[in-house]
Amino acid sequence: MSIVALGIIIAIKVVVILAIILGIGAYLTLVERKVAAHIQRRPGPMVVGWHGLLQPLADGIKLLTKEDILPSSANQVLYNLAIIMALVPASLVFAVVPFGPEIHVFGYDVKPILTDVNIGIIMAFAFGSLAVYGVALSGWASNSKYALIGALRKAGIIISYEVVITFAALGPIMLAKSLSTYDIVMAQIHQKVWYIFLQPISFVVFVFALLAETGRVPFDIQEAEAELVTGFTVEYGGMKFGLFPLVEWYVEVLSLSSILTVLYLGGWSPINIPFVGFVDPLFFLGPWSGFIWFIIKVTILFLLVLWLHWTLPRYRIDQITTIAWKVMLPLALFNILITAFIAPLLRG
Amino acid sequence: MIKKVFEKPLNFLETILFLDFIKGMSITIKQAFTKTITTHYPYEKLTPPKRFRGFFGHKTVNGLEPQPAFDEWVERMKIEPRPGQSRCVVCYLCKKACPVPDLFEIDGQKLENGKKVVSVFNMNLMLCTFCGLCVDACPVDCLFQSDIHETASFSRKDSILNLEKLEAIGKSWQDRREHEPDRIWIDDDARQALWRENKLNLKKVDNA
Repeated sequence: MSIVALGIIIAIKVVVILAIILGIGAYLTLVERKVAAHIQRRPGPMVVGWHGLLQPLADGIKLLTKEDILPSSANQVLYNLAIIMALVPASLVFAVVPFGPEIHVFGYDVKPILTDVNIGIIMAFAFGSLAVYGVALSGWASNSKYALIGALRKAGIIISYEVVITFAALGPIMLAKSLSTYDIVMAQIHQKVWYIFLQPISFVVFVFALLAETGRVPFDIQEAEAELVTGFTVEYGGMKFGLFPLVEWYVEVLSLSSILTVLYLGGWSPINIPFVGFVDPLFFLGPWSGFIWFIIKVTILFLLVLWLHWTLPRYRIDQITTIAWKVMLPLALFNILITAFIAPLLRG
Repeated sequence: MIKKVFEKPLNFLETILFLDFIKGMSITIKQAFTKTITTHYPYEKLTPPKRFRGFFGHKTVNGLEPQPAFDEWVERMKIEPRPGQSRCVVCYLCKKACPVPDLFEIDGQKLENGKKVVSVFNMNLMLCTFCGLCVDACPVDCLFQSDIHETASFSRKDSILNLEKLEAIGKSWQDRREHEPDRIWIDDDARQALWRENKLNLKKVDNA
């Protein structure tokens, strides 16, 4: 493969991934509003387009044409840097997400993953940890007590749950004997088992850590509409205000759901019967069925997150950190202990 | 110390199976697939009950006046009743009953035959609290509150109701609503269907 072809393929991948993430991220606002509305027996947006299908565009135009207000006592550089620091790491996680199996197009073998580095999972969690910069900077630069309190709470949550999420992910990594996201999925396909069946404790811990990292209920204490008026975004206006929920509630949920799918739900593999094999009702799509399975799994996870969000009340900040350090972390460590005994028994 | 009245705390097995989460989520998923209960307001509108306390209006003389009160007050105030026009007898009782009397501006006009008719009746609704005391005070069932509740306007001037507007509101209300039976709509099946009875089944609080 020539260097030119390689460059073109990578450029196409970057454009496609960015377009899909940001486009879908914007449209997930409509999905969230519809789900929330129906849970509360409302129809949600109905006016703009058929059943509100054009509502995200209308919202985008509204946010873009609003006045850009800089608070007089804010630090201008950090204020604008916070948005970049929130958006970029969250999007970069998708660089190591494998969307499907290796495919053969125009005479080239293409892996649908931007960079198949052999430390993919570590990269994902490193970028996830960077998200705290955006939040902390926005809270500090806004020079407002609500924003600062919200940012401090979020920082506390992320510091607690980064530890938990990394230890929870250690289980699948031990079973797959690899840190590469592509190889973890291949290991699950070779061993003919999704790791959710071998790692149920770790899966539950990971889901809770996902909710906490992305600021979803029951861990949305940094938003806390009633007390903090949406926390660290309170001094932002227009599209700058729109970007924070877009990043935190949609792009991060999508990226962590993708990592969750890779670690526990076998990535692009079809429905699994443990230790027997895979059943693929979408066999007629050929190699493309893998992409559809990946999208289906991430969609189900996203809907589950929404369902939880619009059902549960929220924990207090001390309860959240207590759960992280006293319940979740010991469970994750216990899971690693068990996994150490299971891992040698698996072939492959 | 919070005392839990309804539910006993979850035991260990229920906690690790997330029973409380499952209970709550089963309720929300059930609600998510039921019919929505909203009205799409600018496109669909509910009809308020007949006794709704909305914008004010003047009922007109149409033969349905309360008797013998109307004849007595017409005689006492020397009013010329004109069919199709306001029933007002210029008694100022509404103004007396009002907590903010300044919002009324009422005046009568002498006719050539020595009798009177109402000529000025302005209500400044910027000051009004829609308490309905003026309606209770009206002895001839002239001033009333209609079912018009969309009261937004583009200028403060529009919120002052003069005699023409009051009569127009009264006429349209008499055409649309006056022959309806005067009742609260718990026994009106058609209206009841719009609102759907809320069948709450609350547990009794045990204070023991």
